[in-house]
Amino acid sequence: MRFAPAVLIVLLAAYPLVATLPFPQHIVIMALLFATMGTAWNILGGLAGQVSIGHAVYFGIGAYTAAYFYKHFALSALATWPLALLISTAASVVIGLPTFRLRGHYFVLASVFIMQAVYVIVSNSATLGAGIGLELPVYRAKDWTDALWHLQFRDSKLPFYYAALVLFVAALGTFEWIRRRRLGLILTAVREEEDAARSLGVDTMRYKLVALIVSAAFTTLCGMFYAHYVQYVEPISTTSLVVSIEIAFIAIFGGIGTVWGPTLAAFVIIPLTELLRAYLSGRIAIGLAGTLQDGGLLAYLKYYAAGGGGQIDLLIYGLIIILIARFQPRGMLGFFRRLD
Amino acid sequence: MAGLLEIRGLSKRFGGVYASRDVSFDVDAGAIVGLIGPNGAGKTTLFNLATGFLMPDAGEVRFDGREVTGLRPDVLSRRGIARTFQILKPFARLTVEENVMVGALARGDSMAEARAAAQRCLELVGIGHKAADLARNLSTGQRKRLEMARAMATRPRLLLLDELTGGVDQPSIPGLIELVARLRGEGITLLVIEHNMRVIMGLADKVVFLHLGEKLAEGAPAEIARHPAVVNLYLGSRHA
Repeated sequence: MRFAPAVLIVLLAAYPLVATLPFPQHIVIMALLFATMGTAWNILGGLAGQVSIGHAVYFGIGAYTAAYFYKHFALSALATWPLALLISTAASVVIGLPTFRLRGHYFVLASVFIMQAVYVIVSNSATLGAGIGLELPVYRAKDWTDALWHLQFRDSKLPFYYAALVLFVAALGTFEWIRRRRLGLILTAVREEEDAARSLGVDTMRYKLVALIVSAAFTTLCGMFYAHYVQYVEPISTTSLVVSIEIAFIAIFGGIGTVWGPTLAAFVIIPLTELLRAYLSGRIAIGLAGTLQDGGLLAYLKYYAAGGGGQIDLLIYGLIIILIARFQPRGMLGFFRRLD
Repeated sequence: MAGLLEIRGLSKRFGGVYASRDVSFDVDAGAIVGLIGPNGAGKTTLFNLATGFLMPDAGEVRFDGREVTGLRPDVLSRRGIARTFQILKPFARLTVEENVMVGALARGDSMAEARAAAQRCLELVGIGHKAADLARNLSTGQRKRLEMARAMATRPRLLLLDELTGGVDQPSIPGLIELVARLRGEGITLLVIEHNMRVIMGLADKVVFLHLGEKLAEGAPAEIARHPAVVNLYLGSRHA
Protein backbone atom coordinates (compact mmCIF):
# COMPACT_ATOMS: atom_id res chain seq x y z
CA MET A 1 0.00 0.00 0.00
CA ARG A 2 2.90 2.35 0.67
CA PHE A 3 3.86 2.37 -2.98
CA ALA A 4 0.30 2.55 -4.28
CA PRO A 5 0.47 6.32 -5.04
CA ALA A 6 3.73 5.93 -6.97
CA VAL A 7 2.34 2.95 -8.91
CA LEU A 8 -0.80 4.90 -9.75
CA ILE A 9 1.18 7.87 -11.02
CA VAL A 10 3.38 5.64 -13.19
CA LEU A 11 0.30 3.89 -14.62
CA LEU A 12 -1.34 7.23 -15.35
CA ALA A 13 1.84 8.51 -16.98
CA ALA A 14 2.07 5.42 -19.18
CA TYR A 15 -1.63 5.34 -20.13
CA PRO A 16 -1.60 7.78 -23.09
CA LEU A 17 1.39 5.97 -24.58
CA VAL A 18 -0.76 2.84 -24.75
CA ALA A 19 -4.14 4.43 -25.38
CA THR A 20 -3.15 6.59 -28.32
CA LEU A 21 -6.62 7.51 -29.62
CA PRO A 22 -7.93 10.98 -28.73
CA PHE A 23 -11.19 9.93 -27.06
CA PRO A 24 -9.71 7.52 -24.46
CA GLN A 25 -7.12 10.20 -23.67
CA HIS A 26 -9.83 12.85 -23.40
CA ILE A 27 -11.75 10.76 -20.88
CA VAL A 28 -8.78 10.45 -18.55
CA ILE A 29 -7.88 14.14 -18.98
CA MET A 30 -11.38 15.05 -17.79
CA ALA A 31 -11.16 12.52 -14.94
CA LEU A 32 -7.81 14.01 -13.86
CA LEU A 33 -9.26 17.52 -14.05
CA PHE A 34 -12.21 16.61 -11.83
CA ALA A 35 -10.05 14.53 -9.49
CA THR A 36 -7.91 17.66 -9.05
CA MET A 37 -10.91 19.88 -8.37
CA GLY A 38 -12.55 17.33 -6.07
CA THR A 39 -9.31 17.04 -4.10
CA ALA A 40 -8.95 20.84 -3.93
CA TRP A 41 -12.58 21.15 -2.80
CA ASN A 42 -11.85 18.53 -0.15
CA ILE A 43 -9.28 20.82 1.51
CA LEU A 44 -12.06 23.25 2.38
CA GLY A 45 -15.05 20.89 2.47
CA GLY A 46 -13.44 17.77 3.86
CA LEU A 47 -10.74 19.03 6.21
CA ALA A 48 -12.27 22.32 7.35
CA GLY A 49 -15.87 21.10 7.00
CA GLN A 50 -17.04 24.11 4.98
CA VAL A 51 -19.31 22.70 2.26
CA SER A 52 -19.14 25.08 -0.70
CA ILE A 53 -21.53 24.75 -3.62
CA GLY A 54 -19.90 27.79 -5.17
CA HIS A 55 -16.52 26.58 -6.37
CA ALA A 56 -17.49 27.25 -9.99
CA VAL A 57 -16.72 30.90 -9.16
CA TYR A 58 -13.01 30.03 -8.92
CA PHE A 59 -13.17 27.71 -11.92
CA GLY A 60 -14.74 30.62 -13.83
CA ILE A 61 -12.05 33.05 -12.66
CA GLY A 62 -9.40 30.76 -14.11
CA ALA A 63 -11.28 30.02 -17.32
CA TYR A 64 -12.19 33.63 -18.08
CA THR A 65 -8.79 35.06 -17.14
CA ALA A 66 -7.14 32.60 -19.51
CA ALA A 67 -9.67 33.19 -22.32
CA TYR A 68 -9.81 36.97 -22.04
CA PHE A 69 -6.07 37.58 -22.08
CA TYR A 70 -5.44 35.02 -24.79
CA LYS A 71 -8.18 36.36 -27.02
CA HIS A 72 -7.22 40.04 -26.68
CA PHE A 73 -3.48 40.01 -25.96
CA ALA A 74 -2.35 36.54 -27.09
CA LEU A 75 -1.13 35.94 -23.54
CA SER A 76 -1.61 32.32 -22.53
CA ALA A 77 -2.08 30.91 -19.04
CA LEU A 78 1.68 30.51 -18.81
CA ALA A 79 1.82 34.31 -18.52
CA THR A 80 -1.46 35.04 -16.75
CA TRP A 81 -1.54 32.42 -14.00
CA PRO A 82 -0.12 34.77 -11.34
CA LEU A 83 -2.84 37.29 -12.16
CA ALA A 84 -5.53 34.59 -12.03
CA LEU A 85 -4.30 33.38 -8.65
CA LEU A 86 -4.28 36.96 -7.41
CA ILE A 87 -7.91 37.43 -8.49
CA SER A 88 -8.83 34.04 -7.03
CA THR A 89 -7.22 34.91 -3.69
CA ALA A 90 -8.92 38.31 -3.57
CA ALA A 91 -12.26 36.67 -4.39
CA SER A 92 -11.67 34.05 -1.67
CA VAL A 93 -11.17 36.77 0.93
CA VAL A 94 -14.10 38.91 -0.26
CA ILE A 95 -16.43 35.88 -0.33
CA GLY A 96 -14.99 34.17 2.74
CA LEU A 97 -15.06 37.07 5.19
CA PRO A 98 -18.86 37.42 5.31
CA THR A 99 -19.86 33.80 4.57
CA PHE A 100 -17.53 32.07 7.04
CA ARG A 101 -19.47 33.77 9.82
CA LEU A 102 -22.37 31.52 8.83
CA ARG A 103 -22.61 27.96 10.06
CA GLY A 104 -23.83 24.73 8.49
CA HIS A 105 -26.63 25.00 5.98
CA TYR A 106 -26.51 28.79 5.93
CA PHE A 107 -22.94 28.70 4.65
CA VAL A 108 -23.94 26.25 1.91
CA LEU A 109 -26.82 28.50 0.82
CA ALA A 110 -24.63 31.61 0.85
CA SER A 111 -22.08 29.88 -1.38
CA VAL A 112 -24.84 29.01 -3.87
CA PHE A 113 -26.28 32.54 -3.91
CA ILE A 114 -22.90 34.20 -4.46
CA MET A 115 -22.10 31.76 -7.24
CA GLN A 116 -25.46 32.47 -8.91
CA ALA A 117 -24.84 36.21 -8.65
CA VAL A 118 -21.47 35.77 -10.35
CA TYR A 119 -23.17 33.65 -13.03
CA VAL A 120 -25.70 36.39 -13.76
CA ILE A 121 -22.99 39.05 -13.88
CA VAL A 122 -20.78 37.03 -16.23
CA SER A 123 -23.77 36.10 -18.43
CA ASN A 124 -24.50 39.79 -18.92
CA SER A 125 -21.01 41.15 -19.21
CA ALA A 126 -20.22 42.25 -22.77
CA THR A 127 -16.49 42.22 -21.96
CA LEU A 128 -16.73 38.52 -21.13
CA GLY A 129 -18.87 37.72 -24.15
CA ALA A 130 -22.10 37.51 -22.12
CA GLY A 131 -24.08 34.30 -22.73
CA ILE A 132 -22.08 33.42 -25.84
CA GLY A 133 -18.75 33.42 -24.07
CA LEU A 134 -15.20 33.81 -25.32
CA GLU A 135 -13.39 31.82 -27.95
CA LEU A 136 -9.64 31.28 -27.76
CA PRO A 137 -8.47 31.82 -31.33
CA VAL A 138 -6.80 28.89 -33.08
CA TYR A 139 -3.11 29.45 -33.63
CA ARG A 140 -0.72 27.63 -35.97
CA ALA A 141 2.48 27.27 -34.01
CA LYS A 142 5.82 27.62 -35.82
CA ASP A 143 7.77 25.25 -33.57
CA TRP A 144 7.34 23.48 -30.24
CA THR A 145 8.40 26.43 -28.03
CA ASP A 146 5.90 28.58 -29.89
CA ALA A 147 3.27 25.89 -29.40
CA LEU A 148 4.06 25.68 -25.71
CA TRP A 149 3.79 29.44 -25.28
CA HIS A 150 0.39 29.43 -26.95
CA LEU A 151 -0.65 26.14 -25.38
CA GLN A 152 -1.85 24.93 -28.77
CA PHE A 153 -0.63 21.57 -30.00
CA ARG A 154 -2.82 20.85 -33.04
CA ASP A 155 -4.09 17.30 -32.72
CA SER A 156 -1.91 16.05 -29.89
CA LYS A 157 -3.56 15.76 -26.49
CA LEU A 158 -0.37 14.59 -24.79
CA PRO A 159 0.79 18.00 -23.48
CA PHE A 160 -2.63 18.60 -21.93
CA TYR A 161 -2.70 15.08 -20.55
CA TYR A 162 0.58 15.54 -18.72
CA ALA A 163 -0.33 19.04 -17.57
CA ALA A 164 -3.51 17.59 -16.03
CA LEU A 165 -1.46 14.84 -14.41
CA VAL A 166 0.90 17.40 -12.87
CA LEU A 167 -2.04 19.46 -11.54
CA PHE A 168 -3.59 16.31 -10.10
CA VAL A 169 -0.41 15.15 -8.35
CA ALA A 170 0.16 18.67 -6.99
CA ALA A 171 -3.38 18.89 -5.59
CA LEU A 172 -3.22 15.43 -4.06
CA GLY A 173 0.21 16.14 -2.59
CA THR A 174 -0.98 19.46 -1.15
CA PHE A 175 -4.04 17.83 0.40
CA GLU A 176 -1.98 15.11 2.05
CA TRP A 177 0.69 17.58 3.14
CA ILE A 178 -1.89 19.81 4.84
CA ARG A 179 -3.74 16.86 6.36
CA ARG A 180 -0.68 15.48 8.09
CA ARG A 181 0.52 18.76 9.51
CA ARG A 182 -0.40 21.45 11.99
CA LEU A 183 -2.77 23.17 9.56
CA GLY A 184 -4.70 19.95 8.89
CA LEU A 185 -5.18 19.17 12.57
CA ILE A 186 -6.42 22.68 13.30
CA LEU A 187 -8.78 22.63 10.29
CA THR A 188 -10.19 19.29 11.43
CA ALA A 189 -10.78 20.74 14.90
CA VAL A 190 -12.68 23.63 13.29
CA ARG A 191 -14.78 21.10 11.38
CA GLU A 192 -15.51 18.95 14.42
CA GLU A 193 -16.41 21.65 17.00
CA GLU A 194 -15.93 25.22 15.93
CA ASP A 195 -16.69 26.78 19.34
CA ALA A 196 -14.31 24.44 21.13
CA ALA A 197 -11.59 25.34 18.63
CA ARG A 198 -12.22 29.04 19.26
CA SER A 199 -12.06 28.54 23.02
CA LEU A 200 -8.66 26.91 22.53
CA GLY A 201 -7.29 29.99 20.78
CA VAL A 202 -7.89 29.08 17.14
CA ASP A 203 -8.65 32.10 14.97
CA THR A 204 -11.21 30.09 12.99
CA MET A 205 -11.81 32.79 10.38
CA ARG A 206 -8.13 32.92 9.49
CA TYR A 207 -7.81 29.17 9.11
CA LYS A 208 -10.98 28.86 7.02
CA LEU A 209 -9.66 31.61 4.74
CA VAL A 210 -6.34 29.83 4.31
CA ALA A 211 -8.18 26.60 3.41
CA LEU A 212 -10.38 28.46 0.92
CA ILE A 213 -7.47 30.31 -0.72
CA VAL A 214 -5.53 27.07 -1.31
CA SER A 215 -8.66 25.22 -2.46
CA ALA A 216 -9.65 28.09 -4.77
CA ALA A 217 -6.13 28.38 -6.22
CA PHE A 218 -6.17 24.82 -7.56
CA THR A 219 -9.72 25.26 -8.85
CA THR A 220 -8.63 28.43 -10.65
CA LEU A 221 -5.69 26.64 -12.27
CA CYS A 222 -8.12 23.93 -13.41
CA GLY A 223 -10.28 26.65 -14.97
CA MET A 224 -7.27 27.99 -16.89
CA PHE A 225 -6.43 24.47 -18.03
CA TYR A 226 -10.01 23.93 -19.17
CA ALA A 227 -10.08 27.18 -21.19
CA HIS A 228 -6.98 26.27 -23.16
CA TYR A 229 -8.01 22.64 -23.54
CA VAL A 230 -11.51 23.33 -24.85
CA GLN A 231 -10.54 26.71 -26.41
CA TYR A 232 -13.96 28.06 -25.57
CA VAL A 233 -15.49 29.31 -22.33
CA GLU A 234 -19.09 30.27 -21.66
CA PRO A 235 -21.02 30.74 -18.40
CA ILE A 236 -22.88 27.40 -18.30
CA SER A 237 -19.80 25.23 -18.56
CA THR A 238 -17.59 27.31 -16.24
CA THR A 239 -19.29 29.38 -13.56
CA SER A 240 -22.67 27.71 -13.20
CA LEU A 241 -24.53 25.77 -10.53
CA VAL A 242 -24.00 22.59 -12.56
CA VAL A 243 -20.22 22.92 -12.38
CA SER A 244 -20.37 23.83 -8.66
CA ILE A 245 -22.40 20.72 -7.95
CA GLU A 246 -20.11 18.52 -10.05
CA ILE A 247 -17.04 19.65 -8.08
CA ALA A 248 -18.62 19.13 -4.66
CA PHE A 249 -20.30 15.93 -5.83
CA ILE A 250 -17.00 14.30 -6.79
CA ALA A 251 -15.59 14.90 -3.30
CA ILE A 252 -18.73 14.12 -1.31
CA PHE A 253 -19.55 10.88 -3.06
CA GLY A 254 -15.99 9.71 -3.23
CA GLY A 255 -15.67 10.10 0.51
CA ILE A 256 -15.57 13.54 2.07
CA GLY A 257 -12.32 14.32 3.85
CA THR A 258 -10.53 11.22 2.53
CA VAL A 259 -7.32 11.38 0.48
CA TRP A 260 -8.40 9.06 -2.34
CA GLY A 261 -12.18 9.49 -2.33
CA PRO A 262 -12.41 12.35 -4.86
CA THR A 263 -9.98 10.59 -7.20
CA LEU A 264 -11.91 7.34 -7.05
CA ALA A 265 -15.20 9.15 -7.70
CA ALA A 266 -13.75 11.16 -10.59
CA PHE A 267 -12.38 8.05 -12.28
CA VAL A 268 -15.72 6.24 -11.97
CA ILE A 269 -18.16 9.04 -12.69
CA ILE A 270 -16.39 11.10 -15.37
CA PRO A 271 -15.74 8.18 -17.77
CA LEU A 272 -19.30 6.98 -17.16
CA THR A 273 -20.83 10.35 -18.06
CA GLU A 274 -18.46 10.96 -20.97
CA LEU A 275 -19.22 7.55 -22.47
CA LEU A 276 -22.96 7.85 -21.92
CA ARG A 277 -22.95 11.34 -23.33
CA ALA A 278 -21.10 10.20 -26.44
CA TYR A 279 -23.33 7.14 -26.79
CA LEU A 280 -26.62 8.98 -26.33
CA SER A 281 -25.63 11.94 -28.47
CA GLY A 282 -24.69 9.56 -31.27
CA ARG A 283 -27.92 7.59 -30.94
CA ILE A 284 -30.03 10.68 -30.80
CA ALA A 285 -28.32 12.42 -33.68
CA ILE A 286 -29.41 9.47 -35.80
CA GLY A 287 -32.96 9.05 -34.60
CA LEU A 288 -33.94 12.34 -32.98
CA ALA A 289 -36.98 13.03 -35.10
CA GLY A 290 -38.30 9.50 -34.62
CA THR A 291 -37.87 9.33 -30.85
CA LEU A 292 -39.57 12.67 -30.36
CA GLN A 293 -42.65 11.43 -32.17
CA ASP A 294 -42.77 8.41 -29.84
CA GLY A 295 -43.53 10.75 -26.95
CA GLY A 296 -43.34 9.57 -23.36
CA LEU A 297 -40.80 10.08 -20.59
CA LEU A 298 -37.96 8.16 -22.19
CA ALA A 299 -38.19 10.21 -25.36
CA TYR A 300 -38.17 13.36 -23.29
CA LEU A 301 -35.11 12.21 -21.38
CA LYS A 302 -33.29 11.35 -24.58
CA TYR A 303 -34.17 14.72 -26.04
CA TYR A 304 -33.07 16.42 -22.84
CA ALA A 305 -29.80 14.56 -22.93
CA ALA A 306 -29.24 15.49 -26.55
CA GLY A 307 -29.50 19.20 -25.84
CA GLY A 308 -25.75 19.77 -26.10
CA GLY A 309 -25.29 16.60 -24.10
CA GLY A 310 -24.49 18.67 -21.00
CA GLN A 311 -27.46 17.81 -18.86
CA ILE A 312 -27.16 14.02 -18.94
CA ASP A 313 -24.52 14.33 -16.21
CA LEU A 314 -27.13 15.57 -13.80
CA LEU A 315 -29.43 12.64 -14.47
CA ILE A 316 -26.58 10.24 -13.78
CA TYR A 317 -25.47 12.17 -10.70
CA GLY A 318 -29.01 12.05 -9.36
CA LEU A 319 -29.08 8.30 -9.78
CA ILE A 320 -25.69 7.88 -8.10
CA ILE A 321 -26.72 10.16 -5.22
CA ILE A 322 -29.73 7.94 -4.56
CA LEU A 323 -27.70 4.73 -4.75
CA ILE A 324 -24.83 5.98 -2.59
CA ALA A 325 -27.13 7.53 0.03
CA ARG A 326 -29.00 4.23 0.22
CA PHE A 327 -26.10 1.78 0.25
CA GLN A 328 -22.93 3.60 1.26
CA PRO A 329 -23.49 6.94 3.02
CA ARG A 330 -19.77 7.23 3.78
CA GLY A 331 -18.95 7.61 0.11
CA MET A 332 -17.62 5.30 -2.58
CA LEU A 333 -14.34 4.76 -0.76
CA GLY A 334 -16.46 3.08 1.92
CA PHE A 335 -16.96 0.11 -0.42
CA PHE A 336 -13.26 -0.63 -0.13
CA ARG A 337 -13.02 -0.39 3.64
CA ARG A 338 -14.19 -2.60 6.43
CA LEU A 339 -16.68 -0.83 8.66
CA ASP A 340 -15.09 0.24 11.90
CA MET B 1 -5.21 44.19 45.12
CA ALA B 2 -7.55 43.81 42.15
CA GLY B 3 -8.60 40.32 41.07
CA LEU B 4 -7.15 38.44 38.12
CA LEU B 5 -10.65 38.47 36.65
CA GLU B 6 -12.95 41.40 37.40
CA ILE B 7 -16.60 41.24 36.45
CA ARG B 8 -18.08 44.74 36.53
CA GLY B 9 -21.83 45.34 36.21
CA LEU B 10 -22.32 42.74 33.46
CA SER B 11 -25.79 42.69 31.91
CA LYS B 12 -27.14 40.61 29.06
CA ARG B 13 -30.74 40.37 27.92
CA PHE B 14 -32.32 37.80 25.66
CA GLY B 15 -35.57 39.29 24.40
CA GLY B 16 -37.05 40.86 27.52
CA VAL B 17 -35.40 38.46 29.98
CA TYR B 18 -32.22 39.28 31.86
CA ALA B 19 -29.84 36.35 31.67
CA SER B 20 -27.37 38.49 33.54
CA ARG B 21 -28.22 41.67 35.44
CA ASP B 22 -25.59 44.02 36.78
CA VAL B 23 -23.38 41.21 38.07
CA SER B 24 -20.06 42.16 39.68
CA PHE B 25 -17.44 40.11 41.47
CA ASP B 26 -13.70 39.41 41.48
CA VAL B 27 -11.72 36.23 41.07
CA ASP B 28 -8.40 36.66 42.89
CA ALA B 29 -5.23 35.18 41.47
CA GLY B 30 -4.63 31.67 42.79
CA ALA B 31 -8.18 31.28 44.15
CA ILE B 32 -10.90 28.78 43.42
CA VAL B 33 -14.23 30.60 43.10
CA GLY B 34 -17.48 28.68 42.92
CA LEU B 35 -20.43 29.89 40.88
CA ILE B 36 -23.72 28.40 42.04
CA GLY B 37 -27.40 28.94 41.43
CA PRO B 38 -30.47 27.06 40.24
CA ASN B 39 -31.15 26.28 36.58
CA GLY B 40 -31.57 29.46 34.57
CA ALA B 41 -29.57 31.53 37.08
CA GLY B 42 -27.27 32.81 34.33
CA LYS B 43 -24.12 30.91 35.23
CA THR B 44 -23.30 29.72 31.73
CA THR B 45 -24.30 33.12 30.30
CA LEU B 46 -21.75 34.68 32.63
CA PHE B 47 -19.11 32.22 31.34
CA ASN B 48 -20.00 33.08 27.76
CA LEU B 49 -19.75 36.82 28.53
CA ALA B 50 -16.37 36.37 30.24
CA THR B 51 -14.91 34.24 27.44
CA GLY B 52 -16.09 36.30 24.47
CA PHE B 53 -18.81 33.96 23.20
CA LEU B 54 -21.42 36.60 24.06
CA MET B 55 -21.22 40.39 23.92
CA PRO B 56 -22.62 42.08 27.07
CA ASP B 57 -25.28 44.79 26.75
CA ALA B 58 -23.58 46.67 29.58
CA GLY B 59 -20.68 46.32 31.97
CA GLU B 60 -17.10 45.24 31.53
CA VAL B 61 -14.76 42.31 31.96
CA ARG B 62 -11.21 42.97 33.08
CA PHE B 63 -8.44 40.42 33.01
CA ASP B 64 -5.10 41.01 34.65
CA GLY B 65 -5.93 44.70 35.03
CA ARG B 66 -6.87 45.28 31.38
CA GLU B 67 -10.31 45.61 29.87
CA VAL B 68 -11.12 42.64 27.64
CA THR B 69 -14.88 43.11 27.17
CA GLY B 70 -16.10 41.75 23.85
CA LEU B 71 -12.78 40.38 22.66
CA ARG B 72 -13.09 37.20 20.58
CA PRO B 73 -12.83 33.81 22.34
CA ASP B 74 -9.60 32.90 20.54
CA VAL B 75 -7.99 36.21 21.52
CA LEU B 76 -9.00 35.72 25.16
CA SER B 77 -7.65 32.18 25.05
CA ARG B 78 -4.29 33.46 23.88
CA ARG B 79 -4.38 36.06 26.68
CA GLY B 80 -4.71 33.22 29.19
CA ILE B 81 -8.43 32.51 29.75
CA ALA B 82 -9.43 28.90 29.11
CA ARG B 83 -12.81 27.22 29.57
CA THR B 84 -14.68 23.95 29.38
CA PHE B 85 -18.23 23.53 28.13
CA GLN B 86 -21.27 22.27 30.02
CA ILE B 87 -22.36 20.47 26.86
CA LEU B 88 -19.05 18.73 26.19
CA LYS B 89 -17.51 19.54 22.83
CA PRO B 90 -14.80 16.99 22.06
CA PHE B 91 -13.35 16.86 18.53
CA ALA B 92 -15.09 13.51 18.16
CA ARG B 93 -13.19 12.09 15.19
CA LEU B 94 -9.76 13.12 16.42
CA THR B 95 -7.77 11.07 18.90
CA VAL B 96 -7.59 12.15 22.53
CA GLU B 97 -3.99 13.24 22.00
CA GLU B 98 -4.88 15.26 18.88
CA ASN B 99 -7.71 16.95 20.78
CA VAL B 100 -5.25 18.26 23.34
CA MET B 101 -2.61 19.12 20.72
CA VAL B 102 -5.01 21.67 19.16
CA GLY B 103 -4.80 23.79 22.29
CA ALA B 104 -1.00 23.81 22.14
CA LEU B 105 -0.84 24.32 18.36
CA ALA B 106 -3.03 27.41 18.58
CA ARG B 107 -0.36 28.86 20.87
CA GLY B 108 2.17 28.42 18.07
CA ASP B 109 3.77 25.16 19.19
CA SER B 110 5.29 22.81 16.61
CA MET B 111 3.73 19.35 16.18
CA ALA B 112 6.47 17.77 18.34
CA GLU B 113 6.07 20.38 21.09
CA ALA B 114 2.29 20.03 20.96
CA ARG B 115 2.54 16.24 21.25
CA ALA B 116 4.76 16.56 24.32
CA ALA B 117 2.41 19.15 25.84
CA ALA B 118 -0.57 16.91 25.17
CA GLN B 119 1.07 13.97 26.89
CA ARG B 120 1.84 16.15 29.92
CA CYS B 121 -1.70 17.52 30.13
CA LEU B 122 -3.28 14.09 29.68
CA GLU B 123 -1.13 12.67 32.51
CA LEU B 124 -2.10 15.66 34.65
CA VAL B 125 -5.83 14.92 34.29
CA GLY B 126 -5.29 11.18 34.54
CA ILE B 127 -6.20 9.92 31.05
CA GLY B 128 -2.70 9.53 29.63
CA HIS B 129 -3.47 5.89 28.80
CA LYS B 130 -6.31 6.99 26.49
CA ALA B 131 -4.11 9.15 24.22
CA ALA B 132 -4.55 7.01 21.10
CA ASP B 133 -8.33 6.48 21.46
CA LEU B 134 -10.84 8.45 19.43
CA ALA B 135 -12.44 11.12 21.60
CA ARG B 136 -15.93 9.87 20.77
CA ASN B 137 -15.15 6.56 22.50
CA LEU B 138 -14.57 8.17 25.92
CA SER B 139 -17.03 8.03 28.84
CA THR B 140 -18.60 11.28 30.09
CA GLY B 141 -16.17 11.47 33.02
CA GLN B 142 -13.22 10.95 30.69
CA ARG B 143 -14.58 13.58 28.31
CA LYS B 144 -14.69 16.06 31.18
CA ARG B 145 -11.07 15.31 31.89
CA LEU B 146 -10.30 15.64 28.19
CA GLU B 147 -11.86 19.12 28.13
CA MET B 148 -9.69 20.09 31.08
CA ALA B 149 -6.54 18.67 29.47
CA ARG B 150 -7.33 20.54 26.26
CA ALA B 151 -7.86 23.79 28.15
CA MET B 152 -4.63 23.25 30.10
CA ALA B 153 -2.71 22.81 26.83
CA THR B 154 -3.36 26.49 26.07
CA ARG B 155 -1.27 27.25 29.19
CA PRO B 156 -3.97 29.37 30.83
CA ARG B 157 -3.75 31.55 33.91
CA LEU B 158 -7.49 31.39 34.50
CA LEU B 159 -9.62 28.30 33.88
CA LEU B 160 -13.41 28.40 33.82
CA LEU B 161 -15.00 25.00 34.45
CA ASP B 162 -18.65 24.69 33.46
CA GLU B 163 -20.35 21.95 35.52
CA LEU B 164 -17.44 20.13 37.10
CA THR B 165 -19.38 17.05 38.25
CA GLY B 166 -22.60 17.35 36.23
CA GLY B 167 -23.53 14.10 34.49
CA VAL B 168 -20.74 12.17 36.21
CA ASP B 169 -21.38 9.07 38.35
CA GLN B 170 -20.93 9.44 42.13
CA PRO B 171 -17.72 7.37 42.43
CA SER B 172 -15.94 9.65 39.92
CA ILE B 173 -16.63 12.85 41.88
CA PRO B 174 -13.80 12.67 44.46
CA GLY B 175 -11.30 12.20 41.64
CA LEU B 176 -12.55 15.34 39.86
CA ILE B 177 -12.37 17.34 43.12
CA GLU B 178 -8.82 16.15 43.64
CA LEU B 179 -8.03 17.12 40.04
CA VAL B 180 -9.24 20.69 40.52
CA ALA B 181 -7.05 20.97 43.62
CA ARG B 182 -4.13 19.70 41.55
CA LEU B 183 -4.81 22.31 38.84
CA ARG B 184 -4.70 25.01 41.49
CA GLY B 185 -1.37 23.53 42.57
CA GLU B 186 -0.16 24.17 39.01
CA GLY B 187 -0.75 27.87 39.65
CA ILE B 188 -4.09 28.08 37.82
CA THR B 189 -6.86 30.35 39.05
CA LEU B 190 -10.25 28.68 38.79
CA LEU B 191 -13.87 29.78 38.40
CA VAL B 192 -16.10 26.72 38.74
CA ILE B 193 -19.80 26.27 38.03
CA GLU B 194 -21.09 23.48 40.24
CA HIS B 195 -24.53 22.22 41.22
CA ASN B 196 -23.41 19.90 43.97
CA MET B 197 -23.26 22.08 47.13
CA ARG B 198 -21.12 19.58 48.99
CA VAL B 199 -18.52 19.60 46.22
CA ILE B 200 -18.26 23.37 45.97
CA MET B 201 -18.24 23.88 49.78
CA GLY B 202 -15.19 21.68 50.12
CA LEU B 203 -13.35 23.19 47.20
CA ALA B 204 -13.97 26.91 46.87
CA ASP B 205 -12.33 29.82 48.69
CA LYS B 206 -15.30 31.97 47.74
CA VAL B 207 -18.76 31.28 46.38
CA VAL B 208 -20.92 33.57 44.22
CA PHE B 209 -24.62 32.79 44.22
CA LEU B 210 -26.70 33.76 41.18
CA HIS B 211 -30.47 33.64 40.78
CA LEU B 212 -32.42 34.74 37.67
CA GLY B 213 -29.39 36.60 36.36
CA GLU B 214 -28.68 38.54 39.55
CA LYS B 215 -26.01 38.07 42.18
CA LEU B 216 -27.85 37.36 45.43
CA ALA B 217 -24.86 36.58 47.60
CA GLU B 218 -21.08 36.34 47.65
CA GLY B 219 -18.81 35.12 50.40
CA ALA B 220 -17.02 32.25 52.09
CA PRO B 221 -18.64 28.85 51.46
CA ALA B 222 -19.85 28.54 55.05
CA GLU B 223 -21.56 31.94 54.92
CA ILE B 224 -23.22 31.15 51.62
CA ALA B 225 -24.48 27.81 52.97
CA ARG B 226 -26.30 29.72 55.75
CA HIS B 227 -27.57 32.53 53.51
CA PRO B 228 -31.40 32.62 53.65
CA ALA B 229 -31.83 32.94 49.85
CA VAL B 230 -29.57 29.96 49.22
CA VAL B 231 -31.23 27.83 51.87
CA ASN B 232 -34.63 28.80 50.51
CA LEU B 233 -33.83 28.02 46.89
CA TYR B 234 -31.77 24.90 47.40
CA LEU B 235 -33.40 23.24 50.39
CA GLY B 236 -36.92 24.66 50.39
CA SER B 237 -38.29 27.37 52.68
CA ARG B 238 -39.25 25.10 55.59
CA HIS B 239 -35.54 24.61 56.31
CA ALA B 240 -34.94 28.35 56.62
